[in-house]
Amino acid sequence: MTAAAILELEGLTKDFPVGRNRRLRAVDDVSLAIAPGETLGIVGESGCGKTTLGRLAVRLIAPSAGTIRFEGRDISTLDEAAMRPLRQAMQIIFQDPYSSLNPRLNVERIIAEPLENFGMKRREIGPRVAELLTTVGLPADAAGRYPHAFSGGQRQRISIARALALNPKLLVCDEAVSALDVSVQAQILNLLADLRAELGLSLLFISHNLAVVRYLCHRIAVMYLGRIVELADTAALFAAPQHHYTAALLKAVPEPDPRDRSTSPPVEGDLPSPIDPPPGCVFHTRCPRAEARCRTEPPVLAPARNGGLVRCHFPVGALP
Amino acid sequence: MVEIDAGRQRRSDFLLRFRKSRNAVIGATLVALVVFVAIFAPLLVPHDYEHVDMFKVWAPPSAEHPFGNDALGRDILSRVLVGAQVSLLVAVAVLTITLTIGVTLGMCAAYFGGWTDTIIMRTVDIIFAFPELILAILVAAMMGPGLLTVIVSLSIVWWPGIARLTRALVLQLKNELYVSAAIACGSPPAKILIRHILPNIVAPLMVRASIGVGFIIMAEATLSFLGIGVQEPRPTWGGMIRDGLQTLRTDPYLVFYASLALAITIIGFNLLGDGLRDILDPRVRDR
Repeated sequence: MTAAAILELEGLTKDFPVGRNRRLRAVDDVSLAIAPGETLGIVGESGCGKTTLGRLAVRLIAPSAGTIRFEGRDISTLDEAAMRPLRQAMQIIFQDPYSSLNPRLNVERIIAEPLENFGMKRREIGPRVAELLTTVGLPADAAGRYPHAFSGGQRQRISIARALALNPKLLVCDEAVSALDVSVQAQILNLLADLRAELGLSLLFISHNLAVVRYLCHRIAVMYLGRIVELADTAALFAAPQHHYTAALLKAVPEPDPRDRSTSPPVEGDLPSPIDPPPGCVFHTRCPRAEARCRTEPPVLAPARNGGLVRCHFPVGALP
Repeated sequence: MVEIDAGRQRRSDFLLRFRKSRNAVIGATLVALVVFVAIFAPLLVPHDYEHVDMFKVWAPPSAEHPFGNDALGRDILSRVLVGAQVSLLVAVAVLTITLTIGVTLGMCAAYFGGWTDTIIMRTVDIIFAFPELILAILVAAMMGPGLLTVIVSLSIVWWPGIARLTRALVLQLKNELYVSAAIACGSPPAKILIRHILPNIVAPLMVRASIGVGFIIMAEATLSFLGIGVQEPRPTWGGMIRDGLQTLRTDPYLVFYASLALAITIIGFNLLGDGLRDILDPRVRDR
């Protein structure tokens, strides 16, 4: 991990208490680093801990163990007040464009909120809001309207404008396009790609949609049950997935080929409960390649043949 | 998409539903009547409410005194009209005090959690452990009778309910994404509470306050009835019921009209509260 990384996660773990003396380990020993200007994708099924990871990265919640370093500074134990000055440089966009905007505030007040918080003068706020609206492709007269007057895609643009207001260095996109129609998704993705180039943003892009992640990300981390099971450059991951879970995910992407009648799901069964994860490799319950060793001995994240890292005893394509 | 001013739309929406709710309309009418009487009582009274006339002691209703006269020959109608003032004054004062304290502490307890929450909510629990009226009577007995006593003692028993309700509402709202978004963009707690949370708990608090007025007026009447409330010569409905109780069998008019005024007021506020709940609570909205 280079010292120049903008965000560095090390051994990050988050437990949620469930009932008496039980806990749900939503994120388990995750280590990642994002370089300035880099886009890192996080993919995985629902419930694999992606969203928790995103909220940890901007310290909306506190980790149970491990460290979060932002521009080299350990922020894992800062309280809300100590975090506030740092919020200028890190922003987050949420999945649901409906509940992430307060219905009682108009667009100008929504976008102005971060600007007020960091001491921008009242007369400078109006022009800055107008500028941001242009940046995200909304008409200038949107400022006076309320969120309910906008479609999902437009609302997500408002969220992006609010997130960009302070010129952050890191933007966490938590399923930022998942709630939108496919055509609108493409617009928002293009917008994010343009902004990234223009502003030199680092993105932590969380999604369950492989096509979306492939389009936008330099590197991809695949999560399963709170753990990273594979981490590789986008091209390498798609060309030669090393983990059986990644391979299954790629196979699950529908092919636009009417002759392909294969209907068997690439991964059988349901996601095991993170309250009571399986011993050994967490994926062995659904893995086509699982052997006795997988059921007892948890694999570690090790260098893989595609140049990335993989958490598997018997990676795809390896000799038995 | 048609452009609509959200504020105006919400208001007209509210008025529309308000007119459709029979409870709300009847309640609001009764409340308006009582408020009107309280404000204009000095102009409405046919006689001086303090005028003693020994020739008319316990006189039955007559053309000159439609509600009759009390033990000192004072005009009951005038006293009932003026009695609305104390009831409403106490209600307004207690509501103002308890909403301010209850909402502030409830919001802090919910938002900050931890020790703040523990201290505030355990205090609330302790006050809740006493029966409401017993505690009010205890405080009133310690402070001595009077208007201020009534307001203070009722405020002490009434704020914990507001605090508890507020805390529950805020705990729900705290998980809204726009609150997370506000934290993420660096808004301090005071701003989050006032700008993002308070406007969204006003509606349920209005319902609670409206129903609460019924309790407060009833409690005020009870304290006055027990003689530890507002004192003579200022007429109160509770005090009038007490005065008339000894001669209830022979001269029931004082008790009857004071109780009627009390009943109309309390029913009015309760109907208004029920109506507001039907209108404002999204869970019962579309019935």
